[in-house]
Amino acid sequence: MLLAVLIANSQGNILIERFNGVPPEERLHWRSFLVKLGSDNIKGIKNEELLVASHKSVFIVYTVLGDVTIYVVGKDEYDELALAEAIFIITSVIKDVCGKPPTERVFLDKYGKICLCLDEIVWKGLLENMDKDRIKRLIRLKPPNDF
Amino acid sequence: MAQPLLKKDDDRDEEVEYSPFLGIEKGAVLQEARVFNDPQLDPRRCSQVITKLLYLITQGETFTKIEATEVFFAVTKLFQSKDVGLRRMVYIMIKELSPSADEVIIVTSSLMKDMNSRTDMFRANAIRVLCRITDGTLLSQIERYLKQAIVDKNPVVASAALVSGIHLLQTNPEIVKRWTNEVQEAIQSRAALVQFHALALLHQIRQNDRLAVGKLVSSLTKGSVRSPLAQCLLVRYTSQVIRESGVNTQTGDRPFYDYLEGCLRHKAEMVILEAARAITELSNVTTRELTPAITVLQLFLSSSKPVLRFAAVRTLNKVAMTHPMAVTNCNIDMESLISDQNRSIATLAITTLLKTGNESSVDRLLKQITNFMSDIADEFKIVVVDAIRSLCLKFPLKYRSLMNFLSSILREEGGFEYKKAIVDSIVILIRDIPDAKESGLLHLCEFIEDCEFSYLSTQILHFLGIEGPKTSDPSRYIRYIYNRVILENATVRASAVSTLAKFAALVDSLKPRIFLLLRRCLYDNDDEVRDRATLYLNTLAGDSFAETDNIEEFLFGSFEVPLSNLESSLKEYIQDPSEKPFDLGKVSKEVKSQPLVEKKAPGKKPAGLGAPPAPISAADTYENLLSSIPEYANFGRIFKSSAPVELTEAETEYSVNVVKHIFDSHVVFQYNCTNTIPEQLLENVIVIVDASEAEEFSEVGSKVLKSLPYDAPAQAFVAFEKPEGVPAVGKFSNLLKFTVKEVDPSTGETEDDGIEDVYQLEDFEVVASDYILKVGVSNFKNAWESMGPEAERVDEYGLGPRESLSEAVRAVINLLGMQPCEGTEVVASNSRSHTCLLSGVYIGNVKVLVRLSFGIDGAKDVAMKLAVRSEDISVSDAIHDIVASG
Repeated sequence: MLLAVLIANSQGNILIERFNGVPPEERLHWRSFLVKLGSDNIKGIKNEELLVASHKSVFIVYTVLGDVTIYVVGKDEYDELALAEAIFIITSVIKDVCGKPPTERVFLDKYGKICLCLDEIVWKGLLENMDKDRIKRLIRLKPPNDF
Repeated sequence: MAQPLLKKDDDRDEEVEYSPFLGIEKGAVLQEARVFNDPQLDPRRCSQVITKLLYLITQGETFTKIEATEVFFAVTKLFQSKDVGLRRMVYIMIKELSPSADEVIIVTSSLMKDMNSRTDMFRANAIRVLCRITDGTLLSQIERYLKQAIVDKNPVVASAALVSGIHLLQTNPEIVKRWTNEVQEAIQSRAALVQFHALALLHQIRQNDRLAVGKLVSSLTKGSVRSPLAQCLLVRYTSQVIRESGVNTQTGDRPFYDYLEGCLRHKAEMVILEAARAITELSNVTTRELTPAITVLQLFLSSSKPVLRFAAVRTLNKVAMTHPMAVTNCNIDMESLISDQNRSIATLAITTLLKTGNESSVDRLLKQITNFMSDIADEFKIVVVDAIRSLCLKFPLKYRSLMNFLSSILREEGGFEYKKAIVDSIVILIRDIPDAKESGLLHLCEFIEDCEFSYLSTQILHFLGIEGPKTSDPSRYIRYIYNRVILENATVRASAVSTLAKFAALVDSLKPRIFLLLRRCLYDNDDEVRDRATLYLNTLAGDSFAETDNIEEFLFGSFEVPLSNLESSLKEYIQDPSEKPFDLGKVSKEVKSQPLVEKKAPGKKPAGLGAPPAPISAADTYENLLSSIPEYANFGRIFKSSAPVELTEAETEYSVNVVKHIFDSHVVFQYNCTNTIPEQLLENVIVIVDASEAEEFSEVGSKVLKSLPYDAPAQAFVAFEKPEGVPAVGKFSNLLKFTVKEVDPSTGETEDDGIEDVYQLEDFEVVASDYILKVGVSNFKNAWESMGPEAERVDEYGLGPRESLSEAVRAVINLLGMQPCEGTEVVASNSRSHTCLLSGVYIGNVKVLVRLSFGIDGAKDVAMKLAVRSEDISVSDAIHDIVASG
């Protein structure tokens, strides 16, 4: 299960979060854990360079893209390798939607579109679409090119 | 008021960056949502309002029931718009709002219409929304459409239906299981993702049918699976099938191994890693099978992608636990990962190296770790400390550098858990490596000079009190202990007073000087400190206990009465006050619950200070328990108590295990019984033992367990006499006999009449290893040479064909029940010969050392040379007898 996708700004404020199968009372813990993990480790890393961690039986892959930090959390079949695939497609669509690694302002300007893209990529904890061109069409309700 | 959403203009890039949602308020957005009701819908404006609603939901804003209903009804109006962008927003909004069952009806018809729309993407999205909000009744209405969607030509529609199926399987399994044919068809799809989703769903539908999963795997491993993700799933399902089917005993082949091995050459890295991981996790994996997997993992260690490095080192770390020698080839690559920017990778690399390194690499490794420790978080440091502890126990000769490392990190900054882990490790090393005792104690003394955690200070003081007086120069610790009395809080001061008193009690030469210090404590401003000082001064000075030679036992001995019994007796005393003082002697000594060690934690050593050696060690618990039974009081000290042996299957009505206590000329069997039926009370529980297959044993008495209520474990005992000092062996059959009485669980009332009944227990044996204590030596070579060749016995044995050398070594170690030394219990995976060193104490307190040399030939025949040295030649012979008869 892909337990969470979180996107935070450089101050650690959450911009978007999507939890799946995580009880509401545990979400605050995850939020603060991830933001702390990010603030401890992301200093000086390049855009899209991946960082990996594991906490108990859960895996976390995270990265920086412009002003935002993206975290994906998974367990069982969503191990570090599957999460790397997921975060790769998330960063690609965000870059595509925003035109470049976004500032926080640009990210918020494109908030609606980004929500739609995430909705296409992860659905209730399962990876559903992984091709950025297809996703770009899907959020406009256009059928995929290769069909 | 919320700022309007402005279209981004590149020229404005450099202007002040303010959030388009600055000052957003729920009330205002809900007002704005009224535009959804306009007869002339403005799709753009509506999309903007939905975006704001989404933002509010993400920021943790909640809608009241009325608000949510209003928004939901308003959103459903938007189905009238033909604007596709807005329709997409409507779908996501309905999913986010998760309408209640009575509201769903409003939107069902619109969604059903979309589900049959000619626009493919309406179909896909409608399926996802419907599956999110549907219940069982609605699902059976739309099932027909979902089945069609699974085999839809458009991959997005098919995937939407399949993923919905995976979710719906949790809530409506009987419906989803009817889709098997369609899902099977979807597995053949040319679209990679459809195949991936179909495979996941089909496996979930059939996961309890081993045969079906086997068929699925064998058909797909032959064919072509397009997506790497699906290939990873297939690898997992394949390893599940391998686990369940085992090795072909005739050919020695493992089914599907070739498939896994083939995946190691796949073009997708994730598949290669998945296959390598699956191979390393095979049960009883051979070196031949393991080698190709280790080779690819080694290549990934130097990958430029951090995720691949992490995955590889994580897998190797696991392999190192079971096959450390197989990983040694990767050590050089792993050493370069110690400086990896990603600290998770570095930590895994270090802990793996600590598991696989040899004695000569310890110092180099420690140097590298020292630089690394300062910039990782406490949770990583704890992992490293645990690995260092294991390494030190494996290479006791290296205790000096490892202990210095632990003491240096103990002086650095760190939280409680981290410091506790270090202190626990030092304590364990002191306990297991006698040579490390003095330096370890001094490190702990230095630590308490500047320790901010009272808990750790008190635990260390307690430990110092036990170990300090036994050292060559106990006086050197007094300064550190007395400093605590001057400098610390009351809790630590009280502990320090007790520790000082222990030194005074055990070291006569220090007594006058310690009395001087204790007298100063009489003026302490805390009453507990003063009370302790007074008690110790009065008792140890010999005034009131002049004729008692057991003062140490009185002051510091383990408490004979179980604390729970004392607590309940004191409560009773308070409730019913009397003139008579409370009499400790009247408190029951019967242990109501099972001793600590019997809470099954296989393979776990007692953790350092968490379980200080004296008061709650397993041996002491047993000693106390048995000494409270007058019939066994004259048996002397227990030589060895075995681990509990289960005599019943798991989850039966009565759970019974036995602990074998070996005395010099007696054996006592302690039967730990648990009644797991709330409606029953067992009385007069006794174990009838048939010792006809244990000729040298004769029963001398058994202790009846008077009452065994539900879920309150208690013990019955049976004692046997045996020839003194002789390691007699034999088999014992057991029958549990008792009177059972009915209990009403709601009222707790017990019926007066009971019925006699019996319950058959499993047999168990007293074996030779029950007479040997596992006691390690820090330097085997020195110990071996100091024992001298006079009492040495050497002989050779053929062990016959064996599965592997490692299995043969394990079997001999288990047979003898001795402590493997210097990590020699681990056999290099490809070696044809091996030397294993064992140490122990034989009944009668005779030290014994064993050197085992194994060799294996092509036909897997194992030969063994056994050299034994001991303090008594007859013991050396006895060890040979054990091997010869085993």
